[in-house]
Amino acid sequence: MSHSKNTTGIGPVRAAMRKITTPFDEMRDWWGRAPGWVRWTVYGLVIVAALLAPSDSVGAFMSPESDWATILFYPIGVFVLLAIGLNVVVGQAGLLDLGFVAFFAIGGYVMAVIGTELGWNFWEIIVVAVLISSLSGIILGAPTLRLRGDYLAIVTLGFGEIVRLVAQNTDAIGGPRGINSIPHPPDMSDIEIIPDLQPFTYGVIDPRPYYYLLVALCVLVIIFARRLEKSRVGRAWAAIREDEDAAEIMGVPTFRFKLLAFAIGAAIGGATGTVFAAKMISIVPNNFPFILSATILAAVVLGGSGNLPGVILGAFLVGWLPERFRGFEDYRVLLFGGVLVLMMIVRPQGLLPSRQRSAEFAEGSGMGGMGAEVATPTAKAEVSSR
Amino acid sequence: MLLELKDVYVHYGKIEAIKGISLEVAEGEIVSLIGANGAGKTTTLKTISGLRPISAGRVLFDGKDISRTPGHVRVLRGIGQAPEGRGVFPGMTVQENLQMGAYARKGNTAGDLAEMYDLFPRLNERRAQMAGTLSGGEQQMLAIGRALMTKPKVLLLDEPSMGLAPKLVTQIFSIIEEINHRGTTVLLVEQNAQQALQLAHRAYVLETGHVVKSASASQLLDDPEVRAAYLGGDLGVDGAGEADATPNGAGRPTGGDAPAQ
Repeated sequence: MSHSKNTTGIGPVRAAMRKITTPFDEMRDWWGRAPGWVRWTVYGLVIVAALLAPSDSVGAFMSPESDWATILFYPIGVFVLLAIGLNVVVGQAGLLDLGFVAFFAIGGYVMAVIGTELGWNFWEIIVVAVLISSLSGIILGAPTLRLRGDYLAIVTLGFGEIVRLVAQNTDAIGGPRGINSIPHPPDMSDIEIIPDLQPFTYGVIDPRPYYYLLVALCVLVIIFARRLEKSRVGRAWAAIREDEDAAEIMGVPTFRFKLLAFAIGAAIGGATGTVFAAKMISIVPNNFPFILSATILAAVVLGGSGNLPGVILGAFLVGWLPERFRGFEDYRVLLFGGVLVLMMIVRPQGLLPSRQRSAEFAEGSGMGGMGAEVATPTAKAEVSSR
Repeated sequence: MLLELKDVYVHYGKIEAIKGISLEVAEGEIVSLIGANGAGKTTTLKTISGLRPISAGRVLFDGKDISRTPGHVRVLRGIGQAPEGRGVFPGMTVQENLQMGAYARKGNTAGDLAEMYDLFPRLNERRAQMAGTLSGGEQQMLAIGRALMTKPKVLLLDEPSMGLAPKLVTQIFSIIEEINHRGTTVLLVEQNAQQALQLAHRAYVLETGHVVKSASASQLLDDPEVRAAYLGGDLGVDGAGEADATPNGAGRPTGGDAPAQ
């Protein structure tokens, strides 16, 4: 890319960064060639690691200043699941969505309202929440997905704010005070696996059962997203992301597939919101600020938009780093912002991009291209050049 | 008539880009649209393939009105397009690009792939390479091959010579001729009027959204006005690549909303 050649003063940083990122690229290529049993072993190890993560010995290093298991649920676990959902929209279909938090909020409010008013249990509600949030994805998408690039981004940003403001100003759902005493999920079993850990008993004090719930959801959603990616749907999304017009003239019903991406992303966001609300007991509109949309988007882009392991890594880092460096107080946010800016200069394709995304990036297409269709200037060029 | 445009108008916002164009393409023909930047050539093609909605007029294909048919359905009816600026999928391999051409139809595509590799041996050598890393000429071949994979009755080509070395332009044009011999109708948009008129049977000259001339290609090659405006005329410059330097060529603002390259 031409801009990278002209930036001066960050040469050494770039060289250092290359030292860090080259192993990532090599790992990706190794992974691409790895036989099935290696992959399954790695999957197994990752799941075991995720299950063992909320232990005090790990926590002593990972977050010396706050409760590690709590952080594993929120922000880390929630961020990871949200990022996987947003990745369907941004990473796979290439639609820039700045209002993703809206679906997280809708899922949370569905849990809160139905849980407190109708007394349904968590498992019934999560199904409804997934349906309602994907429906809201379609409602948002149907009029707006005719827009492209930054125009779509602006409209989705507005949608995120509308949902929060409506919650804020609707007394029936608590207005700015939100909703209290949201029920926990029903206990599935009071089995005690190791002393002091009942992973299927959902109480007030122990965050670990909720964390395990998130891990289980993550595994399900990853399998689902992965299968989609490898299917005809995934190929259509890749084509839309790389060149929407070209996709249309290949016979891909682009509008329908974009709507599907929105609906699926929204469903995942909604499911996350349900778990979040069930754990938190009370939710308020300010749990769902714009900055959360931006943070999740940052996680997706930082990790490597379109590549699931990258996105998960990105979400983990974005959730974890500010907690790890709590000792620096507010400077950590400054540092964090600085690191993100630096990353976008030296490694704009993200830490762990897929090969396909790297190639798109070099061409300036995909989400990086933001192929906004600007009607008026184009028309001027068409007419006024004669 | 295989393809017919009847008094078609297209707007970008409030501005008219196409002001009542009518044209016809018969089965088996090579028809060319020539004209300067901004004349509405690319918009006309996008209108035919369904990427731009029309504000008035009718588009007929195979005798049926397809004015309101969405683009992805027109592909199935038999309209294939290789977009301007090539528009290949950069993150997919050559083979995956070609397979995208067969996305909408069912059945085995192995035979069609083999045919494409036969037509473009170069693509066969590069079949596992990412399309974004191909040279300009190879990308153009891929864009044409991908469009042919949709099994079109009419192939729309938007500036296939753009940005290519003269030798490659000759090669691309002989491939277009070959495609036509194999039975595909071609509608060709070109700034390189010289080459286009030598290849085409008939041509339309577009200026600011109007058709100002239509005749057989050989007649247009001899037409003094066309020679002056698009073929370098009496300036003593003759040959490929010079068609850009028309008096009203207006430099090279990349026309339309082509993907930035």
